[in-house]
Amino acid sequence: MTAGYGDYSVLIKDLHYSIDDVEILKEINLCVGKGELVGLIGPNGAGKSTLLKCISGIYSCNNGEIYVNGMDIKRTDCKKIAREVALMHQNTNVTFPFPAIDVVLTGRYPYLKRFETESSEDYRIARKHMSYTDTLKFESKPVTNMSGGERQRVLFAKVLTQETHLILLDEPTASLDISYEEQIFKYCCELVANGKTVIAAVHDLKLASRYCSRLVLMKDGKILSDGSVEEVLTPENLSVAYGVRAVVYRNRITGLLDFYTHKLEQGKPGKKIHVIGGGGSASGIMRQLFEYGHEVSTGVLFPGDSDLQCADVFGIKAVVTEPFNGINEQYFNKNVELIKNADLTILCNMPFGIQNIRNLEAASYAQNLVIVEDDPPMGRDYTGGQALEIYNKLAKKAIITTSAKVHEVI
Amino acid sequence: MRAKEDFSGDKPKHNAKKKIVLPVMLGVLALVLVLATAIGAVYVPFGQTARIILKNIGILKNATFQEGHEEIIFYVRFPGVLVAALVGAGLATSGVVMQGMFRNPMADPGILGVSSGAGLGAVIAIALRLNSKSVFFLPVFAAVGALAASYAVFRLSKRGGKIPVLTLVLSGIAVSMFLGAMTSIVLTTIHGDQIKEYLFWTTGGLTARRWEHVAMAVVPIITCIAILLAYSRDLNILLLGEEEAQAVGLNSAKTRKILLVLTSIATAAAVSVSGNISFVGLIVPHIMRLIVGPDHRILIPVSAVGGSIFLVACDLIARAIPNPRGIGVGIVTSLIGAPYFLFLLIKTRKGGDAV
Repeated sequence: MTAGYGDYSVLIKDLHYSIDDVEILKEINLCVGKGELVGLIGPNGAGKSTLLKCISGIYSCNNGEIYVNGMDIKRTDCKKIAREVALMHQNTNVTFPFPAIDVVLTGRYPYLKRFETESSEDYRIARKHMSYTDTLKFESKPVTNMSGGERQRVLFAKVLTQETHLILLDEPTASLDISYEEQIFKYCCELVANGKTVIAAVHDLKLASRYCSRLVLMKDGKILSDGSVEEVLTPENLSVAYGVRAVVYRNRITGLLDFYTHKLEQGKPGKKIHVIGGGGSASGIMRQLFEYGHEVSTGVLFPGDSDLQCADVFGIKAVVTEPFNGINEQYFNKNVELIKNADLTILCNMPFGIQNIRNLEAASYAQNLVIVEDDPPMGRDYTGGQALEIYNKLAKKAIITTSAKVHEVI
Repeated sequence: MRAKEDFSGDKPKHNAKKKIVLPVMLGVLALVLVLATAIGAVYVPFGQTARIILKNIGILKNATFQEGHEEIIFYVRFPGVLVAALVGAGLATSGVVMQGMFRNPMADPGILGVSSGAGLGAVIAIALRLNSKSVFFLPVFAAVGALAASYAVFRLSKRGGKIPVLTLVLSGIAVSMFLGAMTSIVLTTIHGDQIKEYLFWTTGGLTARRWEHVAMAVVPIITCIAILLAYSRDLNILLLGEEEAQAVGLNSAKTRKILLVLTSIATAAAVSVSGNISFVGLIVPHIMRLIVGPDHRILIPVSAVGGSIFLVACDLIARAIPNPRGIGVGIVTSLIGAPYFLFLLIKTRKGGDAV
């Protein structure tokens, strides 16, 4: 034991790991305190699994030091390590038909001497964890006859049966239904609440952000970012790690962090496009335009409009008026300016009322106008004919399309 | 989470009923041993055979028998039957362990190059006419060849302290081919009667096996089976995969090395006294796994006994086929084994579980 190191569940100092001269892990420094639920995220091949295997002593690192609860992994006997760290592998292939309980009982191996057989205490521990993961009902069922999800839960029970302080999970939800996906993370939260430490490699960023108290983002064998969910999941980090244009926002309906990502496109610079919408009619179109790399602006929107939230999320310039004030001259002019500068203006499939009729007027300043018409304009006119009149005038010199075909027109 | 006191600590029922399999099979083995000793050119009644055996191993006292029967039973037939039992147990146990270690129900002790090494050793002993000088030469040469071959296979396949399955299988094939060619070179230079001698050895001869052969085989085979039995839990864990095994604290590289050495010794000891006998290591574990499941703590002892029963019975069939020198028991095991194996393959293809 090295003094002080025991305060951390995991302490990694300058770890390097390579297989056949290929460096898989580089300069890893990490310390995880007791009772943390750490999500290990990053693209495929970032080294998440390798890191977990190094921590559990399966791979012996070339350089650097790893301490688990103050215990130097390199200098510790495998059985002793297995009493401190349990690892659930990404895919465990069981080719022989062992009954579930026998698989779970292998978690007791580190506690048994060579000629010792499992005591009733070991069976009790195994059954307790099987009941916890809802697998006790098929304790005699061969694992080879199980569905991927059932087998995963049996293996999770096995990991718990090892009764270690540190639990490492490598993509624990890989083959699970969404209901069990949540369940596994809820178990993890409970484990952490009981003072255990969990480090899980997670593919699903939404799940990771929802349940983990801390995230570690890896890319090419290095730790790119380490901190709270908000600190790690920034559009910049996601863009560096995954090579995507990313948008991070709080989903208004669930109140949870949500992501929108799409692959970065190379090539032609986008056009300047102005979108006139409101009431949610412009969101989908703005997202598509953003994806194709166009420079998008929108207006005039009212505060609280869902299209405005969408514009915020995608970083789209928007003209916003004051609440309950209609569109006064100042905002109208701002909007017209944007429309005049745009190569193209899109008028969305929105309802027209006294409040937003001036947006329709502004559309007449467009160089090129595209009108999205999913529903006949008559049904969307709440001004008593006034809006319809302007609309029909606009329609004469515009290209009329539907939301589904907007992109083709552009 | 409920407290663990709420849960039953009982062993599951699926293990309980398998416990009777071993005693039943031991009973069957005893019967087959006596029966195989009783049947032969001179028939000795079953009860009398049993009494002769019991008297000579010191259990029964003051019994007298028809003249000559005691010699025939105890010095001619019984050693041969015992050698068959030992060889069967050794081969079947090695088969179970190999299949568990490689997580492949088709693995066989032969992939270690043991048989081809033993073949080369045997043919050298025959070419030098050493087998006519002492019964010890042929088995000793075969054993040395077998162990040397498997050592070469290990060394060739070892990469950074580990023995990957694929390289092991491939170097096993390469070494076997090479030794096979060497054997052929020796065969082309020796006399016809020596070739016949080799052929007789290579088809698995159990006739004319004496107490010397039993003595040579019994220590390595029984010792290896006993040690392998001690590793049965480790084998169960290895079945979950090498990394899974390490995650629960099993040093899988070291364990696999120990298991490989033990299986090669057991196989080499078996092959040296019996010649090449195929399919025992493949079929017996297969059938036993269907009966008792994959848990090695039951599977290893049951397979050892099953291997004995199977080989003693095959030997009985081999002796029953009229032929001046008898036919090799290896021929019988292949004649029974190959069709059964095909049957299993077809059953698997039709969607059944071949285990």
